[in-house]
Amino acid sequence: MVGKRKRETSVVSRSTAKKEEDAPPAVVDTSAHDVFRKFFEAQFEPIETPKEAVDDESDEQEDDSDGEGSESETGSEWSGVSGEDEEGKVEVVEHRDASSSEHLANKKARKAFMSSKLPTLTEKPTAVKRAPTKEKEDDDPKEADNLKHDLALQRLLKESHLLEDASDLAPTGKNRLKALDLRMQELGAKSSLYHQKMPSAHRRGIKAKAETKEDKRRRDARENGIILEKPAHKVNKSSSGRRERGVGGPSIGKFAGGTLNLSKSDIFSVKGKAMAGRKKPSRGKPKGRR
Amino acid sequence: MFYSHRWFLRPLSGDTPGLSADHHRTGSSSTPGDFLDLLFFFCVFSVASWILLSLSFTTIYTTSTENRTMATSQPPVRFTSHKNLVWRLVFSVLTGRTIQISQIRPSSSNPGLAPHEISFLRLIESVTNGSQMEISYTGTILVFKPGLITGSAPGNGASGGVIHHQLPANCSRGVSYFLVPLCLLAPFSKAPIRVLFSGPGVITSSTPTGDMSVDSVRTAVLPLYNQFGIFNNIELRVLRRSNPGPNGKGGGGEVQLVFGHQVRLAKTLHMLNAGRIKRIRGVAYSVGTSGSNNARMIETARGILNPLSPDTYIFSDMSSAPLVDAPDKTNPSAKKKIGLGFGLSLVAESSTGCLYSADVACPPSGGQPPEDIGKQCAYQLLETISKGGCVAPAAAPTMLGLMTMGTEDVGRLQLGREVVGDEAVIQLARDLTKFGCPGWGLRDASDDKSTGDVIVSVVGRGIGNVGRKVA
Repeated sequence: MVGKRKRETSVVSRSTAKKEEDAPPAVVDTSAHDVFRKFFEAQFEPIETPKEAVDDESDEQEDDSDGEGSESETGSEWSGVSGEDEEGKVEVVEHRDASSSEHLANKKARKAFMSSKLPTLTEKPTAVKRAPTKEKEDDDPKEADNLKHDLALQRLLKESHLLEDASDLAPTGKNRLKALDLRMQELGAKSSLYHQKMPSAHRRGIKAKAETKEDKRRRDARENGIILEKPAHKVNKSSSGRRERGVGGPSIGKFAGGTLNLSKSDIFSVKGKAMAGRKKPSRGKPKGRR
Repeated sequence: MFYSHRWFLRPLSGDTPGLSADHHRTGSSSTPGDFLDLLFFFCVFSVASWILLSLSFTTIYTTSTENRTMATSQPPVRFTSHKNLVWRLVFSVLTGRTIQISQIRPSSSNPGLAPHEISFLRLIESVTNGSQMEISYTGTILVFKPGLITGSAPGNGASGGVIHHQLPANCSRGVSYFLVPLCLLAPFSKAPIRVLFSGPGVITSSTPTGDMSVDSVRTAVLPLYNQFGIFNNIELRVLRRSNPGPNGKGGGGEVQLVFGHQVRLAKTLHMLNAGRIKRIRGVAYSVGTSGSNNARMIETARGILNPLSPDTYIFSDMSSAPLVDAPDKTNPSAKKKIGLGFGLSLVAESSTGCLYSADVACPPSGGQPPEDIGKQCAYQLLETISKGGCVAPAAAPTMLGLMTMGTEDVGRLQLGREVVGDEAVIQLARDLTKFGCPGWGLRDASDDKSTGDVIVSVVGRGIGNVGRKVA
C-alpha cells in the first residue's frame, strides 16, 4: 500500500493531505540512509538521484518536516531509497503468490499429466492448440482469397463447355441457369431441372435422334480425318440390379392389388436347384442315398 | 558339486495356483537331513500328466539333461547370489540363454528365493511361452530356461487379452519392481502385453526397499522408450493406490500395464547432451489419510524447487484406503484396510528430454510429517540431477538394456560418474558380458564443462525380437 503511494508521488502531483501521511516514516527511514549515503559518497562518487521526482517530494516534505529536524531536505531526497526497500517487501509477496497459485494448477495440465497415458515429452497441449488458430487469423485474408480462387477455377473448368460462345466468364441468362443446374447436380440433386416429363416413346425418339446425330458427326469427322474426343462412356443403368425400393416392401415379386405376384424367374430364383433337379428324378435318388 | 544336492524339479505353469516359495521353504525345513540325504526327490509337472512323483537314486543332473530334449547347445550362464535377479532373468529371456543362479541367500535365516522373486518368475512364465524353471528344494538354486516372449496372446494364460497377476500378501517390494523389468521385455514381445497386477501385495507407492512409485515409472521411465522409437499405445493405469502395509509388507493396489508397441529392434541412441532442467512435475498421493498431507508436501517441495525452476507443478491425488480380505474364524468375509500413507513423486525434465525422478513416501511405521517428506523428496531430486548425465540411476538399467537390444550399431550415452559407478550398473555390465554381449566402452566426456561425466558406448546385439521374427 505504502509502496504504491510512493510510486504515484514520483509520477504525478497529489494532494498534500496524503503526503502528510507518508512523510513521517519516510523521514525516519531516511536518516539512517543519509548516513550511509554520506559514507558512500565519501568513498566513491556522489550518487545521482532522479531530479524531478525528488523535486516534487522535497518541496512537499520541507513543509511537513520543518519542525522535525534540520536535515529534512536530504532526508526527503532519500525517500526514493526507502521506496526501494519497500519493493523488497513486494518481492516477498510475489513469492507467496507463486506458491499459492499451485492450488489452481490448471485442470487441463492435471488431466494431461495424471491420465494413464504417458506424459509426452514435448507436449504443451494448450499452446499447440492455440498456435494454429493464431496462424489462421494471421493469414486469414490470404487463405480465404486462395479458397475463393480455387472455387472459381473449379467452376470454370466444369462449366467451360457452356461458355463456348459466351464472351464473359460469368454466365448470363440461359447459360447461367444451366450452370446453376450443373452445380446443383454436383451437390447431390437427383435430377436435372431440365429433365422434362414426357411420354417414353417421345424420349426414346429424342435419344435416338441425338445418337444418330452424334454418329453422323463422328463418321464425318473420321472420313475427313479429324480426330474427335473419345466417346463418353455409356453407363448401362438397367443392368445395375434391383432398383432401390421402399422400406417394408416385399423382397421378392411384385405387390399389386393386394396380391404378391411371383414371376417365373422369381420362383426359379427361390428354388432353382429343385426345379433343375426335377428333370432327372431317377438319377437324383440313388445319389441322395449314397 | 552342488548337483549332489536334493532337487525338486518343478516347471511352474501359470494357471495352476500350485506351489509357492513358502511351500518349498516349509518343505525344506521339515525334512530332516540325514536319512533323506540318500533320497533324491524328483517331481515333474508336465502339461499332459499332472504329477509324477518318483523316488530315484539318480542325480538330477542326468535327469534334467535327459529331460531337455531341445536343450540349447550352449551351457547355462552361471550366476551366484540373489542380487540383480530380475535383470538376469530379463536378459536371459531377451538373449535366449539358459541361466543357473546358485547361492540364493544361502546363509540367511530365510534361505532361498523370496516371495517377490517367485512372483516375478511366475510373471515371466506367464508372458512367455515355453519357459522352464527348476528350483532346488531349498530354493537356493534356480535354473531358468527361457521361452519366447508371447505377451498377452489369447489362450496363453491371458483371459480377455489381459494377464491377471496376483502378488502375495507377504510381498515387500513395490509393483515397480515388476513393472520396470517387464517393460523391458514388452517391446520384444510377439503380441501386446497387458498385465493387471492385483492381489494383497500390490504396493503402488515407493517403498523402503528402494522401489520407485508407479507414478515415477509412468512419468520418468516409460517416456524414455520414446527415444528408442517405442511410443505407441503404452499406458499404465493406476486403478487403486496403496502404500506399504504394516511392516512394509502387502498393499491392496491395482495397476494395469498396457504395452502395445512391439518392435523388432530398438533404435540406436546417441544421448550426449543433458541440457538444462526445463520443468518439474510431480504427483503427491495420499492413501487413506488426510488430503492436507498432499498440500503440505507440495508446499514444502515447491518452496525448495520453485526458486530453481519456476515451471514446477505438483498434482495431488487422494484416495481412500484399499480393502483386502482378512478372514478370521468368526467372519470369513472380513476385510481390513491396508496400505495407508502418503508420498511424493517428482520428475524433472531437461530441455533435451532427459528425465530425473525422485520418490519418497512415508515409512510404514509412520511418524514422519509430510513437510519432511516433501523436503526429502525435493532434495533427492536435486541430488539426482546433480549426479549429472542424461539418465537417472533408477532408469539406467532400462536405458542400457534397450541399447543392448538395439541394432548392430554403437550407441552412446552420457552418464554421470556416480551413476556408472553404481553397484547395480556395474553388476549389470558384468552380467551382460556373461550373456555374451560385447563389453561397454567407457571414456570421459570431453566437454569444456568438465562435469566428470562418462560416455558409455554400447554395441547393440542386432538380434532383437525373436518371437516377431518367427511369427
